[in-house]
Amino acid sequence: MTAVTGESPVQEAPVQEAPAQEVAAPEAAAPLAGNGVLGQPLDSREDPQLLRGEATYVGDIDLPGTAHMAILGSPVAHAKILSIDTKAAEQLPGVLKVATAADFTDVMPLPCIWIPGGVESHFPPHPYGLPGARPVLTGDAVRHVGDPIAVVVAETPRQAAAALAAISVEYEPLPVVTLAEEALKEGAPQLHEAVPGNLNAYWTCGDKDRTDAAIASAEVTVELDLVNQRTINSPIEPRGAVGDYNAATGEYTLYASTQGPHNHRFLLAALVLGIPFNKLRVVAPTVGGSFGTKGYLYPDMPLVLLLSKALGRPVKWVDTRTGLMNSTVQGRDHRQHVTLAGTRDGRITAVRATSYANLGAYPSTIGPGVATALMGRSISGMYDIDAAFCEVYAAFTNTVSLGAQRGSGRAEAAFLMERLVDRYASEIGMDPAAVRRKNLVPKEKFPYDNGLGWTYDSGDYQLNFDRAIELSDYAGMPARKTEARTRGKRLGVGIASYVAICGVGPSTRMSKEGMLGGTWESANIRVHPTGEVTVTVGSASTGQSHGTVFAQVAADELGIDPDQVQVYEGDTLKAPYGQGTYGSRSYSMAAPAVALTARKIKSKLVKAGAVFLGIAEDKVVYAGGKVYEEGNEENTKTFAELAMAMWYGWGLPPEIEPALDETTHFDPPDFNYPFGTHVAVVEIDELTGETEVVAYTAVDDAGNIGNPKVVLGQIEGSILHGLGQALMEVAEYDDNGLLVSRDLNHYALPRAFDAPFFTLDKTTTPSPHNPLGAKGAGEIATVPPAAAVVNAVVDALSDLGVQHIDMPVTPEKVWRRLRGESQ
Amino acid sequence: MDLSLNVNGRPEQFAAQPNELLVERLRDGLGLTGTKVGCDTGQCGTCVVQLDGRSVKSCLILTAAAAGSEVTTIEGVTTPGGELTGLQEALRQEHGTQCGFCTPGMVMALGELVGNTADREAPTEPEIREWLTGNLCRCTGYHSVVRGVQRACSAAREKAPAEPATTAASGQEGSGR
Repeated sequence: MTAVTGESPVQEAPVQEAPAQEVAAPEAAAPLAGNGVLGQPLDSREDPQLLRGEATYVGDIDLPGTAHMAILGSPVAHAKILSIDTKAAEQLPGVLKVATAADFTDVMPLPCIWIPGGVESHFPPHPYGLPGARPVLTGDAVRHVGDPIAVVVAETPRQAAAALAAISVEYEPLPVVTLAEEALKEGAPQLHEAVPGNLNAYWTCGDKDRTDAAIASAEVTVELDLVNQRTINSPIEPRGAVGDYNAATGEYTLYASTQGPHNHRFLLAALVLGIPFNKLRVVAPTVGGSFGTKGYLYPDMPLVLLLSKALGRPVKWVDTRTGLMNSTVQGRDHRQHVTLAGTRDGRITAVRATSYANLGAYPSTIGPGVATALMGRSISGMYDIDAAFCEVYAAFTNTVSLGAQRGSGRAEAAFLMERLVDRYASEIGMDPAAVRRKNLVPKEKFPYDNGLGWTYDSGDYQLNFDRAIELSDYAGMPARKTEARTRGKRLGVGIASYVAICGVGPSTRMSKEGMLGGTWESANIRVHPTGEVTVTVGSASTGQSHGTVFAQVAADELGIDPDQVQVYEGDTLKAPYGQGTYGSRSYSMAAPAVALTARKIKSKLVKAGAVFLGIAEDKVVYAGGKVYEEGNEENTKTFAELAMAMWYGWGLPPEIEPALDETTHFDPPDFNYPFGTHVAVVEIDELTGETEVVAYTAVDDAGNIGNPKVVLGQIEGSILHGLGQALMEVAEYDDNGLLVSRDLNHYALPRAFDAPFFTLDKTTTPSPHNPLGAKGAGEIATVPPAAAVVNAVVDALSDLGVQHIDMPVTPEKVWRRLRGESQ
Repeated sequence: MDLSLNVNGRPEQFAAQPNELLVERLRDGLGLTGTKVGCDTGQCGTCVVQLDGRSVKSCLILTAAAAGSEVTTIEGVTTPGGELTGLQEALRQEHGTQCGFCTPGMVMALGELVGNTADREAPTEPEIREWLTGNLCRCTGYHSVVRGVQRACSAAREKAPAEPATTAASGQEGSGR
């Protein structure tokens, strides 16, 4: 933006509500008859303690008697382990235990619970020994730098770390492969005996014959070879875990930086340790960011529990940054060969993609699903295309395991489609905005089957698109390009639209997608005798202000003050089941569970109100946090009076149980599909090749929003994350499989000066699939920025004949292109 | 070696190894866990504290090198559960935090900037962004933090237009942390 002082353009941008879509909504999607606190930008109640540094993260937990664990990761990417000698380490001061794979032979490997292609062949769900699954510690061979070989537990963290250096491991080097496409070639190094050819999955969606035919007979076809580079999520808090075994009760407690404490409890108790479910408690304290990486099962989690039991003391492990870079799941990493077909006048007729996905050395908890379904079923984006097909080869290589990353799958899909649309527009000499406008799924076609497996629930893509084009001053770009040239800058503009599947999910639908595990969410509401309310949810925040937003949902529905509502989550002992926070699902999965539970409370209060007011039930009105007699508001009971009366239970007829305590398990009929259009404007310095994002406009549609202040922050952070992938972020492996970008000196994250204030707006199309009309919001704005920026860079360089440039768009790459060098 | 520090106005005396980092003393030795460790290489800024009034990265300084100094950590900025400072309040109003892991370091780094602007022109947006260079945040995209600083500076100027700055160091020296 040009305005750099004073109030942000964010606040100045016109925020107009789009007219709500007239979608055939089930009864559950009736508008809330609440008190209006939902949808308000309330201050986050979590913020004061965060600002005072009083929140407890896992690294801050200090249980009495704690011992400290350090993990020995492999220094080489691929080798047989010939021997491990731990004797010297065991003699060092403070060392309590050194353990290797031989100490954990009765522990199951870490399960992969998203198996591309469906779970039917794996039912009953029992993924023990899944080919290639990661053991708790590796004993036979190492398969990536950082592969855990041994652990030390000592009195202090420094003693534990020092002892790692005294463990001596003898390796027999094996050849290394770090690229998926290379790993699938004949003669490539083999990672797992049980997985010949390194192929974890060949997965397809769409109609291949129809797509091939459409491409063969098309007036125009364009092709691109794309690299969606591997990136590292880099939450600022590295992961950590504390295990605490209680010998008196036989109970295990795991404190961990996790997005899904219930899910981790399930995986650990049922699938890895084989301990009674009711003897494992998992607690997520305050979690310092996640973006997808902290929903996975890692070796440290079972290790701290087992070692706590072995030593009779709490065992704590906190990762280093380099440790995180070499162990926590990484994201993206597709090499794609893609084709788009269309008419000379701009009608897209087909899209086809072949993608090589790099799963890393072991299948992570849900990595294979991220690399296939989340990407492939999304490739047609916002467009109404007659024929589409995607195939993914998901391969093992000598790199860190692949997992989710903010916008996972959907960002990769948007990148390929939006690059293709620009390439096509260029080929037929049509404006990229006009091509997009011509192909948007029309409003009257919803629900829309995209032919790749998703059915979009609702949307007004034209309205959203037009607003973004108008707000970005797209029409004024030619003049700005001319002006920029006078300053030695090349200005480019790039558009990217997207549809993001969110609201995972409908459990049956997810089972067909290959997910082992219920993906519903639950909520409990307990109304205390004094009228205060406790909400507990199965979800778990990693910085999304759940305590504020879920209180708004309950307060709105019950017609009470949100300050009366306290929210608890993140502790399996206290909260009802739920999968946790990932894929932007909490507000469209857990919040609806809260709303439906509040409706159960209200419904009970209407029945009981009839008794307390001495009138027929159909004369009872519940509004504004009280019940009263229709037409006679003086005959009334407040919420607090009702709460006390229900607690006493005096005078209730047998069909009404005393007390107010209800639970709902919400399993939606289908996913929800937020969408949006982003426009990036970049300036490229002719002399240095440096790309600066000078303006960025985003119009997103996440349905009805619970707290605009919270969502604004998520949108802004998401956009910068996407800009990071476009301009600077890459997990770089050398030919030996060494992760060069092993810390934040070697891996560039966007800093505060890397973007201007954004111009933001929204449209609002409620989803019919949940009672709040909500769609996912948290990460959706990460989906299009990489495509928007690369489109803008290619636009700025188009007169040089540049048709594509790989991410990250570094100054050197651009500088070379400015001087006529090819990619 | 025996060392002493004045931490949040309290004298502390202790024995420390020569290679002990200040952040280790604060977190592990004194239990002041508001100061965070995020990167091991001085890049992320979660460990920023104020040393004799200047913001420094406590993972890049030995405890021994700080001996005899005045150290202020996030715990020294407010009392537990107490009233927020002007900067903290402004960040709260702009929701300049999400997961909060980078937040204490940001408050300590920005406190120096905001504390010095009551008697001069409010810092420009580029100046604020430059000042934030040493602090990484993955959640917010920094925008809400920048707005929070703008709000805090305006509030500080409205509240006490004539009051001199409370901290001695100049806020003009950029991000030399």
